[in-house]
Amino acid sequence: MSRSIIRYGLVIASAAFLQYTLVTQFRIAGVSADLFLVVAIAAGMSAGAERGAVVGFASGLCLDLMVVTPFGLGAIAGLVAGVVAGLLEFATVHSARWLTMVIGFIASAAGVVVFALSGSLLGRPDMLSLHTITVMAIVGITSSILVLPMIRVCRWADPDDLRLRAAVR
Amino acid sequence: MASSRRGGRARITISLLLLSAVLLLTLDGRGSGPIQSVRSGILTVLSPIGDAASTVFSPFRNAWNSTFDQSDLKTENEALREENDRLKGQITANSIAKEQLQQLLQLVGIPFVGDTPVVHTRVVSGTIGNFGDRLELDKGSSAGIERNMPVVTGEGLIGKVVEVSENRCIVSLLSSGTFKVGFSVVGTAAIGIAQGSGSENSLRGTNLDSRQSVAVGAIAATSGLAGSPFPPNLPIGTLTAVRTNEAALESTVDITMFANLNDLVYADVVLWKPAG
Repeated sequence: MSRSIIRYGLVIASAAFLQYTLVTQFRIAGVSADLFLVVAIAAGMSAGAERGAVVGFASGLCLDLMVVTPFGLGAIAGLVAGVVAGLLEFATVHSARWLTMVIGFIASAAGVVVFALSGSLLGRPDMLSLHTITVMAIVGITSSILVLPMIRVCRWADPDDLRLRAAVR
Repeated sequence: MASSRRGGRARITISLLLLSAVLLLTLDGRGSGPIQSVRSGILTVLSPIGDAASTVFSPFRNAWNSTFDQSDLKTENEALREENDRLKGQITANSIAKEQLQQLLQLVGIPFVGDTPVVHTRVVSGTIGNFGDRLELDKGSSAGIERNMPVVTGEGLIGKVVEVSENRCIVSLLSSGTFKVGFSVVGTAAIGIAQGSGSENSLRGTNLDSRQSVAVGAIAATSGLAGSPFPPNLPIGTLTAVRTNEAALESTVDITMFANLNDLVYADVVLWKPAG
């Protein structure tokens, strides 16, 4: 358990570092990939909804420390993305890579919608606009691609028994 | 049996995490000090790393931007040429009222902050997230910058400082809708409140007395009324639409900001604090 916490801590810290230094520099239509969401989704897909929720919450908090949106929004978005990814992954029997990517896209879109909707409810009306659709599309597409290598990273971070437990559920 | 026990535990975990997030949002909404301190600390730690990364990746970023933003740049360039021609024509026209002329001069670079000292800064990075809420500038408290100070470009108000560390500050953009600014319509007695509307460079102005005559094309500047966090007469933008609700005796206006928030390189922090 403690090994898993340390490894996930490393994964989230690396994601934060890459997001801050590299990913935000490369934008399409003003939108960049969201590694915090990718980590949450990959954790959910590799170890189930509960693990996705915990990792998503932690990575979202990390995002919250780096932006000026209300503190906790990123945590809720990461949590939802992780849970959605975990539920969808274990509700489907598949081996196709494209299905993994589709689940990544859906979970990512769910995270973005929750982030924008919660922000809008908390007095940030600008967060729910046409721009949200652009964010959903671009973050969704980039997440669906990045989730493939990130799942491998999360499998390294998770102890084997947890993965097996999720797989036989 | 074991499976349902695990499912129950998962539900409890998720519910507890959701509750924690709501608690954090509530604490932040009440202006919890520790959260702001942690954010300032993170900013201090990350700023040198950000500088190095920005330098290292600059050539790649430029190549990327020229690939994806080429059509945008062309459109923007054409719009700026048109705007430039229009302003030149307007400035030389004798029929322009003195007040408007002054505002237009400000638009072409004449300083409008008067004797108030400013700190010239460079934009270090844009948003980390995807909701365009912030800019990071390369000066901080060591240069005299404090929270809530207004931030301007040569064209007008763009936002206010929301986080400060020793050598960095974070600016919340006016268009983000995170705060409101009192404005007056130049040449009239109309005053109102402007806030970001969600679309880029566009604001929504409300609470204008409908008995005051305001027209499309008029200029909005900060009102600087007592208690306002902004000094008076910082240009904000031009009115692009006016809607009057006679029953409520209120007008609402759309304002297009003078300052272009895309690709900002430099910005000035006005070292101004409200009296009292």
